[in-house]
Formats: sequence, structure tokens, C-alpha cells
Amino acid sequence: MARFIPLTRKVNAIIFVSLAVGLGGIIAFYSTWLRMSINDSVGANLRQQSEILYKTIENFMLPGDAPRAEGYFRDINMVNPDYTIKVYRASGRLAFQDNATLQDVNKRLGRERFPLRAQESTTVDEPVQPYFKAAVSLPPENAFFTEDEGERNFFRMYKPLINLPKCTGCHGGEHTIRGVVDIRNDISASVREQNRALLISLGSFVLIVFLLTFLLARYMRADIIRPVKLIGSVCSEVTEGRFDRRVEIRNQDEIGLLGTTVNKMVEGLHERFKLSKFVSGSTIQSLSESGKGRKETLTVFFSDVRGFTSFSENKLPEDIVGHLNRLLSMQTDIIHGQKGDVDKYVADEVVATFKGPEGALAACRAALAIQRELAGGGSAFADLQVGIGINHGEVILGMIGSDKRADYTVIGDAVNTASRFCGAARAGQTIISDSVFVLVRGKAVTEGPFRVNLKGKSQHLRVYLLKEIREEGDA
Amino acid sequence: MSRVAWAGKLRVVTGAALALLTLGCQAEVKNMIPDDYRSWDKTTDKVLNYPIPGHENHLRIPYVNPTGEQPEIGIVGGVKSYSFPKGTIIVKEVYDSLSPDPSSPPTQLTVMVKNPDAPRSRGGWLWIVKDPATGKEIVLQNEFCFTCHANANEPHPYGDKNPNREFRDYVFFVYEEAEGNGVEY
Repeated sequence: MARFIPLTRKVNAIIFVSLAVGLGGIIAFYSTWLRMSINDSVGANLRQQSEILYKTIENFMLPGDAPRAEGYFRDINMVNPDYTIKVYRASGRLAFQDNATLQDVNKRLGRERFPLRAQESTTVDEPVQPYFKAAVSLPPENAFFTEDEGERNFFRMYKPLINLPKCTGCHGGEHTIRGVVDIRNDISASVREQNRALLISLGSFVLIVFLLTFLLARYMRADIIRPVKLIGSVCSEVTEGRFDRRVEIRNQDEIGLLGTTVNKMVEGLHERFKLSKFVSGSTIQSLSESGKGRKETLTVFFSDVRGFTSFSENKLPEDIVGHLNRLLSMQTDIIHGQKGDVDKYVADEVVATFKGPEGALAACRAALAIQRELAGGGSAFADLQVGIGINHGEVILGMIGSDKRADYTVIGDAVNTASRFCGAARAGQTIISDSVFVLVRGKAVTEGPFRVNLKGKSQHLRVYLLKEIREEGDA
Repeated sequence: MSRVAWAGKLRVVTGAALALLTLGCQAEVKNMIPDDYRSWDKTTDKVLNYPIPGHENHLRIPYVNPTGEQPEIGIVGGVKSYSFPKGTIIVKEVYDSLSPDPSSPPTQLTVMVKNPDAPRSRGGWLWIVKDPATGKEIVLQNEFCFTCHANANEPHPYGDKNPNREFRDYVFFVYEEAEGNGVEY
């Protein structure tokens, strides 16, 4: 059987997951989009700056102006330490560090056109691969990438410096790429802001999810789960035979309608329950049937008070009714205890039926129990005794009567025979038919068989006097 | 020691440059260059066997189709200006060295196709590279070819060196018969 999972837990889980996935998705998308937008924006800005710088450098690279470019880069770095510009030669060595280019240019020009540096630098700054390689390949490519250095983050761009035709006078035409302009922008502050925004978003998300989960769960509990549980509780009490509780209707919604319907249903069940005291189980069962007669093999039980007429002659009516009702109640309880169904009371007579093959044994047990109760009951039953007749056979069940008044009852020869047996039984005696005997043989202690000649029967019938039932465990 | 953010490089940022340049710059086209281009006239009788940026130590032989033989010539802003008609094709054969075997085929064709309306045009030209061995034609979308050829419109070291800063429509060697006077441009 599947494990019981409380509705509260399911609803809370659904709400939590829905909010987490839904809101989480939106925030994740928004954060990613925002981050990409910022990166794109910073990147686009850097690219634009690099183009401007490139043009500046290109113009600085007029004959003899390289030192100005070097100073220009230095000044930019002084103004904004987060922004650095360097130039690499195509070989990967930093430019403006030694006299190699100046010597090459002077050689091409055939004179000492440009004075050499007094001091060469040995600074080594390896460019980042594979971006540098891409920048010096043919065709050259602008390489744009991000770089982390400890806690700091950079956008960096390698832009190839083309050896333009107009430059070949000094630099020769054998090579296409003169070098690579390296522009590096510190974006740590931007990244920090992004991370901060991300953390705030994350914190807000968690807070919102828990808050909404709490509020929605509270609402669900108050408006749906609690009424449903209350309805369940009312239904549970009904199954235990208590009909006094009703669902409290607070909201006019589907749950309210359900509660109203359940209340009506409980009222209907209560009425039916009360009605069941006054009609037989077969009658109640018949309500769900077509109402047409049907045949069924049953055990029919008849009980009749002996000497009731003389008993009632000197009694007050209330005493008669009181004694009779106690007697009938006692019999009814015993019959119900044996899963029998009281078909009807006819004055001091009880007519009952027992279903199934086990019904015969149950009817016998009921009969013996009634006889024992009356034998030991004494004044409680005013020393009244009953005679009981039990028969087993095919009967007809059906709603017998008119449109105005009808009873669902049993009729047929088996019923009449049981009635005759009852009439033949003396006070304290229980007569069972041969058909009943066959069913209880081995378990019942009987006397007989006896032959009886019943009114309306052309042949003698074989009957037994029931004495005892051997219960399991009896020796 | 700095560390390249590899995650970042694989993401958007680097892609903006590399992907654009590697994928976007290499848009393949088909049959832009006729096979019979050698039936056209050469743009110059000069032997272009000196090293230049872009082609470095490789011999070049440029051809122009009949459409490009008569560029429109005018004065713009007081400067002589050439404008090649739409449909002009200039095919520059590039060989494997400055002195290749005369029987060897070109290793590459770099081609200018005048089409100012094309989204990928730069300076009104599509800049195309063709591999003669495979026949694959690729339109370059970066500024590489265009940047160098922009020098054609200002004084430069080739040919007549354009001392008067004429607008040569990005062509270093305008068809020498353009004005019918044999003037070398």
C-alpha cells in the first residue's frame, strides 16, 4: 500500500519547488543577462576605446614619434592606473624596451636618423596565448578576453598593429604585422558590483521564496487543507456512527460547497441510520435494488412467545409493552450478534433471516442464546418463554404491499414451514428442519428426528429438537 | 601572476572578437571570380616582385575585368578622385615567392569586387580570398585588407606613390589605360 503523505507536506513542497524554480529561473536569467549585458557593454566600450587608441598610435607612429607614443601610454596609465596600454613586437617582446627597432630603421634609411636609447630595458612580459598568436597570424584577428589576477579582473584586448604600406619606408615590407597593441582595463569594481548585485539577488530570492512559501502555505492551510481535514474528520466520525458533527462553512467557494454537500450527506445518512432501527436490513438493502422480487436461499427464523395471551390479561398495557419490548430487544440483539437480520415483528413474534450456508448455524446459535437468556432471565422477562422454528430453503424476497405502504420481506414455502415449526415448538424448544440439520450436522446436538404433520402439508416432515451447539474447543 | 579566465574566454566576451573574426570574417561565397580572369588586362605592366605588407615575399600579378577599365574620374574636394563602377573585379594572383617558377600556378587569389550595396563590403569593395587548389572563395570581413588598401588613397611607396593624395578608390595600381594617355598610376 502506498505510503500516506499528508496533503500539507505535498502542498508545501509544490509551492516551494514552484517558487524556487520559477523565481530562481527568472533571477538566474536576469542575473546572467545583466552580467552579460554589463560585460558586453564594457567590452564594446573597450573596443571603441581601442579603436580610438589605435588610430592615435597609428598617427604617432609617424617617423620618429614612437617615443611620444611610449610617453602617451605612460601618461594614460598615470591618469588611470586601471587602464594600461602596451605594445608588443610581432615576436612577442615588449616594444620600446631596446634599440632593435631603431637600429633596423636606421639601417633601412642608411643613416643614423634616430638616436639610440642610452639604456635598454630587460623587462620580460610574455603575451597571453593563444590570443597573441591570433593577433599576429594572417589574416590577423583582434583578440578580446578576460583575465583574473588575484582578486582583480581585467578585460584585455590584443589589437594587431598592421605594417601599413606608408610604414614600409622605415620598417620594410617583408612583414605584415608590426606588433600588437595590448589594452588592459581593470574591471574589478564592475565585477565586484555584479557579484554584490548577484548576492543581493540571491539573498532576496531566498527571502522571497521562504516568505511566499510561508504565506501561501498559511493560506492553503487555512482555506483548503484545514476544511478538507475537517471534512475528513466529520466523515470519519460518521463511519463510527456519530452524526452530530457538521463541517463549519467559512468560505463560499468550492471547498465551502463541498462542506455543504458533506453536511447534507451526513444528515441524510443520519436519517437513514435512524430509519434502520425501524426496518430490516433487507429493506434498507432493497432501496438500492430494483424492487422486483428475487429468489434466494436463506435460513428463516421464527420466534413466538408462549402464553402471551394469558400473560397480558392481568397486566397494565405499559407493563405489557415494556416486557414485550425488552423481550424483543433481547432477541434482536442476539440475532444481530449472529449477523442475522430481523425481518419483522408480528406482535410478540420475531421473524428473522440468516444468509449463506453459515446462516443455519448462526440461526441455531441465536435460538439457543435466546432460550438460555430467557431460561436465566427470570423476572426481567416476566418468566416468558418462546418457541422457535428454523428452516432453510428457497424464499422470495420482495417489496410486498401497495404504493402507499409496503414492507420488504420474505415469503414462500420455506417461510411458512418455519412458521409452522415455531407454532409446533413448545416453550423453550427450538425445532429445526431436516434441511437445517444437514447444514449443522456434526456441530449441533439434537434430539430426533421426529416426524411432524403440519397443516397444509400432505406428507410428514422430519424435524429435530435443537439442544446445543458444539463450539470449537469443546471436547 | 595573472591568470586568464578561461571560462570567460569561452563565453561571450572573447567570442565577440574571435568568433566574429574567425567565423564572421570567413563567410564563404561561390563563383564570384570567373575562371577566365586571365583573359582580362593586367592593371599594370610593372612586375610586383618586391615585398609588401600583407603579401610579404610573394610575387603579385593583378588583373581587372573590362568593367573596371574605365573608372569614373572627377574632382572631389579639390582632389582628383577615381570611382570604379559596380561590378569591377580586380583579381590579384599571389605566387609562392618573389621569383616563382614561371610554370607554377598562383597559390592564392586576392580579389576586390566592387559592390557598395553588399553588407560585407568595406570601402565599397568585397575583399575575397580564393584558394585556387580547392576553389574555395571567402569574403574577409575584418579590416585587414581594407586597412592596407586605404593607403592607396594617400601617398605611399608603390607605383607613382600617389604624391597628390588622389582618391584611388583603394586601388594601388589603377588600370594604366584608364585615361587613354598611358599615364602610370
